[in-house]
Amino acid sequence: MTTITPIVDDAREKGTGSWLRDNRTLLLLLPTLGLFLAFLLIPYLNMIVMSFRNPSTSQVFAPGFSAVNYIEAFFDEDLYYLQILWDTMIFGAGTTFLCLIIGYPVAYHLARTKSRYQSLLYAFVLSPLLVGVVVRCYGWIIILANQDGLINMTLRKYGVIETFIPLMYNTFGVGLGLVHIFLPFMILPLLGAIQSIDPALEEAAQSLGASRTKTMTRVVFPLSLPGVQAGTVLVFVLTISSYVIPILLGGLNVMIMSTLVVQQLIDAMLWPFGAALAFILSVTGAAAVYFYLKFTSRFMKGIA
Amino acid sequence: MTKLSINGLVKRFGDVAAVDSIDLEINDHELISLLGPSGCGKTTTLRCIAGFETPTAGNILFDTTDVVRLDPEKRNIGMVFQNYALFPHMTVHENLAFGLEMRGVTKTEMDGSIGKVLDTVQLTGLNDRYPNQLSGGQQQRVALARALVIEPSILLLDEPLANLDAKLREEMRFFIRHLQKRVGITTVYVTHDQAEAMVISDRIVVMFDGRIHQIGGPRDIYSRPVSREVADFIGLSNFIAAHVASGDGNGGYVLDSPLGQLRCAYAESLDDGQAVTIMVRPEAIRLEPANPAASSSNSVPGKVLERFFLGNIQGYKISCENDTVLQVQAEPWTDFAVGDPLWCVFDVEKTWIIRD
Repeated sequence: MTTITPIVDDAREKGTGSWLRDNRTLLLLLPTLGLFLAFLLIPYLNMIVMSFRNPSTSQVFAPGFSAVNYIEAFFDEDLYYLQILWDTMIFGAGTTFLCLIIGYPVAYHLARTKSRYQSLLYAFVLSPLLVGVVVRCYGWIIILANQDGLINMTLRKYGVIETFIPLMYNTFGVGLGLVHIFLPFMILPLLGAIQSIDPALEEAAQSLGASRTKTMTRVVFPLSLPGVQAGTVLVFVLTISSYVIPILLGGLNVMIMSTLVVQQLIDAMLWPFGAALAFILSVTGAAAVYFYLKFTSRFMKGIA
Repeated sequence: MTKLSINGLVKRFGDVAAVDSIDLEINDHELISLLGPSGCGKTTTLRCIAGFETPTAGNILFDTTDVVRLDPEKRNIGMVFQNYALFPHMTVHENLAFGLEMRGVTKTEMDGSIGKVLDTVQLTGLNDRYPNQLSGGQQQRVALARALVIEPSILLLDEPLANLDAKLREEMRFFIRHLQKRVGITTVYVTHDQAEAMVISDRIVVMFDGRIHQIGGPRDIYSRPVSREVADFIGLSNFIAAHVASGDGNGGYVLDSPLGQLRCAYAESLDDGQAVTIMVRPEAIRLEPANPAASSSNSVPGKVLERFFLGNIQGYKISCENDTVLQVQAEPWTDFAVGDPLWCVFDVEKTWIIRD
């Protein structure tokens, strides 16, 4: 009897001597890693360092390091900055919630429709992404503007209202723009999650005596939670860090963290303080997402 | 318990009639299977009974109530799906409790029923498992338990064994059969597997192209098929084109065929000269070295063309007159060599006529 040597397995177990040779696929990550390092990680570290520098009135920063920027941000007398941080989080949560309740029915319909127009509907959902954010905001400005916007002009012309209704430069206008522009980011993950739910599960629920409502609340929604999780995190993160939409539709009337940070950096030239605020926003956002994921994962037992 | 009647059921999808005028009575305690190739309308019929499809015409009665206008959740059916359709986010216990909860059953009653049904399907102790922690066979039994625990009027099974491996599938046939007998529930079972249908059913409904070809017990369907499609779909057959020559004076017929005159027992009336197809099952043919010339059987001379051994069967292809080839399944110890001349003998009783 001769022993047959499994050539391939043997070679793999022993390795060929070179670590790189055995893990060649890792090389595929290099371009992305390089990009992340150069344009995300290094600037971020730079920002953190900047946030600990001393402020100065005549230069970008004064020599030496201290936590004075953070003390200013947290212990300001009328809690101005913490209030804006809180408003930003509430704004993020509100926009996310609205996107969820508007987007869910759309996603469900898209996932389940047998219409031959399905791809057209799909295109409608994606279409906001095809036009730049700035262009879309100007579109909203034309419609919403307080003096001579389309809605206010029309209503005044037909005598429905005497003076204009404030439709922008307030939370309403910013919220509207945010929900409109971030809706696809909610619908797409939801669509994927709902499509992966076997329609037979809905039929099974019905055969067991569940009404349409019960089927949705007890079977479809719980099973779509991975999509809900992904969509809500995406929209929340996009909202709390958005700058263009709030500034165009809200001006400085709607003050959230990103507008505040830019104000400190560009207008006031307070780079260390701006950096501290930006870092606080990042950490708060990340913490909110972390606890949210931990909390929601509890309801996802048995799924995937 | 409930009797199920289907009258003139039609279901069209656009121009295509998936179910084309079906009449069917299913008795209390009976297990009926809908058997046919894919696309024959068996699943559509089941989905109409369940309420997932609205019939184009016809009615479906549970006892005396027409359920066509009722939503599925109001029909009190138990359904088992091909892929089980267990709720992946619920434990076995929660899956079983779901239907009871919808019926407003109290917690204590619920635990009692669930314990009992888990015992029936032999899954005691698995209450807290999630479906993805169970084997295919266990999931199958949970699906059965979930359908049964609500004590439905009618049990519907849609190819429930299609996703199991061959060995488990055979076990589960008997399991479902015994379970159905014990519970005594009126059951409709959809399958494309003829052996499964034969093992499990009281009666088999054979369907092609949205129509019922034949309803009968397994023996009936196998030995006395009414159409060539039925004979072809279930088991192997030899088909011989023939014309009716005359009555044989014993309530049967004498037929002219490429194999000469053959006799056949057939109770229904046929006209002289009528074109028919003779069907003989391969295992109904005996091979004899000499012509026994018995009055109760047909004898046809031939030569062994090919032979093959299947373990429980010795198979032959016999070349007969006029290039007719007969398939024969003989006992495994018969031993004719290729080229041997012999006689194919088959009883008049086992020679069956299919009207064209």
